[in-house]
Amino acid sequence: MSETTTIDDLASTATPPALEVDELRVSYTVRGVDREVLRGVSFRIAPGEAYGLVGESGCGKSTTAYAALRYMPKNGKITSGRVLVNNNDVVNMSTRELQHFRATEASMIYQDPVQALNPTLKIGKQITECFTILGHSKSEAADLALAGLKQVHIAAPSSVMERYPHQLSGGMLQRVVIAMGLAKDPRLLVLDEPTTGLDATVEAEVLDLVRELRRESDAAVLLIAHNLGVIRTMCDRVGVMYAGKMVEEATADTLFSAPKHPYTIGLLNAIPRLGLRKTDRALATIPGNMPPIGADLPACVYESRCPIVTNLCRTVRPPVVELPNGQWTRCHHSDKLDEIVELEAAVPVHEISSEQVVQLNQISKTFRQRNNDVPALVSVDLGFAEGETLGLVGESGSGKSTLAKTMLGVYGPDDDGGTITLDGRPMKAKATDRRNEAIQAIQMVFQNPDSALNRAWTVRRILRRTVTQLTDIKGADADKRVSEIAEAMRLSERHLDMRPRQLSGGLKQRVAIARAFAGDPRVVVCDEPTSALDVSVQAAILNLLATLQRDEKTSYLFITHDIGVVRYLADRIAVMYVGRIMERGFTDDVFNGPVHPYTEALLSAVPAIDGTSRSYSTDG
Amino acid sequence: MARYLLRRLGSIVISLWMLATIVFLLVNVLPGNVGRKVLGPTAKEADVIAFNARLGTDKPMLEQYWVSMKRIFTFDFGESFQSAAPVTELLLPALGRSAKLALLAFIITIPISIAAGIFAARRQDTLADRVVVNVGLASSSIPEFVSASVLLALFAVKWPIGKVYANVPPGSSFFGQLEYLLLPALAMVVAYFGYIARMTRAGVISALHADYIRTATMKGLDQGTVMRRHILRNALAPTITVISVQIGYLFGGIIGVEKIFNYAGLGSTILNAVGKKDIPVLQTGVLMVGAIYMISTLLADLLIAYLNPRVRLEAD
Amino acid sequence: MSSPETNNLEGPVSADVQKKEKPITERSIARQENWRLIRRKPGFIIGAVISAIWLACGIFPNQIAPFDPLDYRVDNNQSPSWTNLFGTDRGGRDVFSRVIAGATDVLKIAPLAALLGVMGGVILGMFMGYLRGRFDTVASRIVESFLSLPVVLLGLLAVTTLGNSNWVVIGVVATLFTPVVARTVRAAVLAERELDYVTSAKLRGEPGWFIMFREILPNITGPIIVELTVRIGYAVFTVATLSFLGAGPPPPSPDWGSQVSDSYNSLISGYWWSTFFPAMAIASLVIAVNLIADSVQSVLDGQ
Repeated sequence: MSETTTIDDLASTATPPALEVDELRVSYTVRGVDREVLRGVSFRIAPGEAYGLVGESGCGKSTTAYAALRYMPKNGKITSGRVLVNNNDVVNMSTRELQHFRATEASMIYQDPVQALNPTLKIGKQITECFTILGHSKSEAADLALAGLKQVHIAAPSSVMERYPHQLSGGMLQRVVIAMGLAKDPRLLVLDEPTTGLDATVEAEVLDLVRELRRESDAAVLLIAHNLGVIRTMCDRVGVMYAGKMVEEATADTLFSAPKHPYTIGLLNAIPRLGLRKTDRALATIPGNMPPIGADLPACVYESRCPIVTNLCRTVRPPVVELPNGQWTRCHHSDKLDEIVELEAAVPVHEISSEQVVQLNQISKTFRQRNNDVPALVSVDLGFAEGETLGLVGESGSGKSTLAKTMLGVYGPDDDGGTITLDGRPMKAKATDRRNEAIQAIQMVFQNPDSALNRAWTVRRILRRTVTQLTDIKGADADKRVSEIAEAMRLSERHLDMRPRQLSGGLKQRVAIARAFAGDPRVVVCDEPTSALDVSVQAAILNLLATLQRDEKTSYLFITHDIGVVRYLADRIAVMYVGRIMERGFTDDVFNGPVHPYTEALLSAVPAIDGTSRSYSTDG
Repeated sequence: MARYLLRRLGSIVISLWMLATIVFLLVNVLPGNVGRKVLGPTAKEADVIAFNARLGTDKPMLEQYWVSMKRIFTFDFGESFQSAAPVTELLLPALGRSAKLALLAFIITIPISIAAGIFAARRQDTLADRVVVNVGLASSSIPEFVSASVLLALFAVKWPIGKVYANVPPGSSFFGQLEYLLLPALAMVVAYFGYIARMTRAGVISALHADYIRTATMKGLDQGTVMRRHILRNALAPTITVISVQIGYLFGGIIGVEKIFNYAGLGSTILNAVGKKDIPVLQTGVLMVGAIYMISTLLADLLIAYLNPRVRLEAD
Repeated sequence: MSSPETNNLEGPVSADVQKKEKPITERSIARQENWRLIRRKPGFIIGAVISAIWLACGIFPNQIAPFDPLDYRVDNNQSPSWTNLFGTDRGGRDVFSRVIAGATDVLKIAPLAALLGVMGGVILGMFMGYLRGRFDTVASRIVESFLSLPVVLLGLLAVTTLGNSNWVVIGVVATLFTPVVARTVRAAVLAERELDYVTSAKLRGEPGWFIMFREILPNITGPIIVELTVRIGYAVFTVATLSFLGAGPPPPSPDWGSQVSDSYNSLISGYWWSTFFPAMAIASLVIAVNLIADSVQSVLDGQ
């Protein structure tokens, strides 16, 4: 095929690549049928270069990363193509050769360091093992392990050697995993979502460490991350994957400033960035779903969701179109990309009333653990005006969720005079003791819709029960009301008779939002409602929340760790740290000049998608 | 650690008290005349009354309960209604015999069933795996007295390599004892092989899917090292739990095997006491069985915590 | 409530609104799918065939058995022959007829005992897991006490005290299974009650009983069905063992356990058949039920 030769020509490096993936095809056997996950993926990484793979879940980026070390699930197999690491053919190695290759040439850093380390073995033993396998004696290996821990800036490395994984924090454990990966001075270092699940400041530290280690070695880095900010700040070149195929490749700067594939453009416009606010424009979404693995895709893989699709796209596989700066795209219409239209503002600029709907006065909450008092909330004051979004940010353990659950009446606050008022009247502490209006007034959208929706109930039953329980609407009127709510959430009648398992993640979250709104609440608590979703789905949910608020004048307490999202949606922001509110103010004020040093640290820790010097404007 | 042990031992005492209460309630639910039961239908009414008066079995229920609890907690287990011998004199030798049999059974069972479990797990979904799984299922399904009677018919009568009666004559040599105990022990092996093998298999398979096994594999370690160093420690916790539970049950739960081979272990002694309403023997015997179970599960929890330091020792 | 005006949605929505399909609920599809997977398992087929044979014997013993199982006419201790397929026992009764008739009692007792035990366990475990607190602490302690004794030992004690009758055996076995099932159900409920749909139900003011039996219960039917099939196997096991130890269905029932108990002493004299065949009957039924249970479990647990 001509594609292969074009990519060969594109290779800009003169030295042999550290990783060369060539027309790689991988299939998973599901119920006896082979289903293709990778439909011919090709790319190269030069020694010392950092290459990022991006794409939404299911696009095959992790499969590609693991295939580079020939690690496949039991039902997976490489059906064709080549993987060369430092000119070693990984695909055709014997078991013994593969072991040797993994021991000496390539390393992997994993998403969840807590799970990646053996809970029953001391850290020291697990690192030492990486050196003994290289032929070092036990005592040599122990010395090298100690040095390795120092290299990743672990304080008191000799005591860490004696610890078990559960005694260390996630950030420390990721350093340990990195130290293990560097034991062999690898030619290829694969990082699979290395900072997902870590707090922003810890993430920043880990990324700094990786950057520093890259300067000291000429290992090639393959980085998988769904956080485009991480990719942007870490990688030299980036490949965009969709449905098992690479659709665009460019240097990081070029890709983020001048994307040339409709999918890349859709992805970037779906992300709230560059200080975008809901009053500027709605977020772009990508309609439809990614084709399932194994689907027959004879033409353009993106054809079913592309805004500028033509008949050509549906019949002819697009060729690789080469562009300047080593950029290429697999699109028939890379010259017509400006036809992709901009969206209007989700919400008009509006005044926030000073009337408070719900107010928390001096609320504290202390948990008792093993006879110790653990304060989770310390004298928190917070209020919500009608139709306002209050963004609550802070790292894990800062008390964000406790605050929400105390307000909702899941936990009773400490009995020290603190009150929660609704329209100025105090409410009972526990939800079970509250009046109906008080129960109805505050509802919640949870982080994980799989947990939040009863798996055994149909969507209709979930919504109907909420309507009849929270309002006076009964009988046939309740059915009508359910249909109305569903329509407002863009759920069809068909969805109403399904159970949550049959729905996609985005639809499930719509049902959860529908449930929260079914009883006409005054305040809705949104606890990380989009963090489990892909960015294009997140965009649709954020748009929905914004328009619902515009129409219903509902107040939101919006808890998130995503700074871009909170900046987009929130009118005001509160920053929490160890149970206290450190700073509170209008969103623009907080972002333009944070007063509290903790806020400053939190904001600067976030890897920016927008690069440091460049500014890419969506309306350009 | 010391605190944990103290709490666990405390809860064992409470559980044993509840157990004693359950047994007391069970044997006393129906109004029955203990003296009549022990002395038989032909005994004179006066003797029966005297018997009941002597043992206190004519007292009100609550008083009897109080007395019996007080005795248990002062380690005064009393005398057998039937033989008037101290209960401990009856039960301790029986316990010893049960322990001997159980020990032999477990020395055979544990290594082969763990090995079979690991063997099957490494060949998951192959023919060999299915054979182990289904043999295990069958062996743990069959009641012990069924396998015991078949073993007896085959290996004591048809091809006599073991003895029909398991009671070892006094003064037998070590190998002489083995000859007597082999068949009943084998019946127990059949009963327990399945549980332990299947549990080991499940434990190894779930450990095989853990992320840290992926890490170990990606380090370039060979399969054997991964199994020995990384999998087994994590995989054996459920196996240890099962073994500890089975040890607990072995002492009282294999009455069937004891009956077939005429072996006077703890189970048969309790069985006899049940028929005769010999409450002191019954109560003490049951408490022994319960205490063995509780101690063996405690030891198992300690062993698991030693193997896997992430497991916190917390009294529930 | 007006609808949002965004026209970009991530779901296949607008095209599907017109297509009003018949609402085949997902649960019935999932059930059919599970049932299909279970039926395909060889273990299930073998188990079902054996169980069906015993069920036929249990329901129509007189039609299948050539002789009266309680009749002492025939010569005693005859080895198997064309007349007496499994030989005769020391009382001269036809072993084949007795084995067939022996299925009746165990098939009456075991499933019913298992069902009652599971029902009791579900209710107890649900309250323990949902209410937590002091009730759970006390109940857990009692459950642990029950679990520390082998079921056969406690059953023996209870049946001897209460007297042999089918109902007593059913009641005792059911009672002894209750704590075991309760522990499984409690664990499942503990996991469920941490899920947000339970919080959500509380946030709309649902009462406890509703959350327990309408919200949580339908989500733990999988483990309950598995528990039920496993318990039926154990019930057969327990009933057979109890009757071997003289605490089963009352004589003169030709129960398999009591047949083994009656005849194992004559093994020494070489009369193996009067023990062997009832013993094999027990083994085949228990294994059959457990094969079914194992197939159900492997499908419902998602392998």
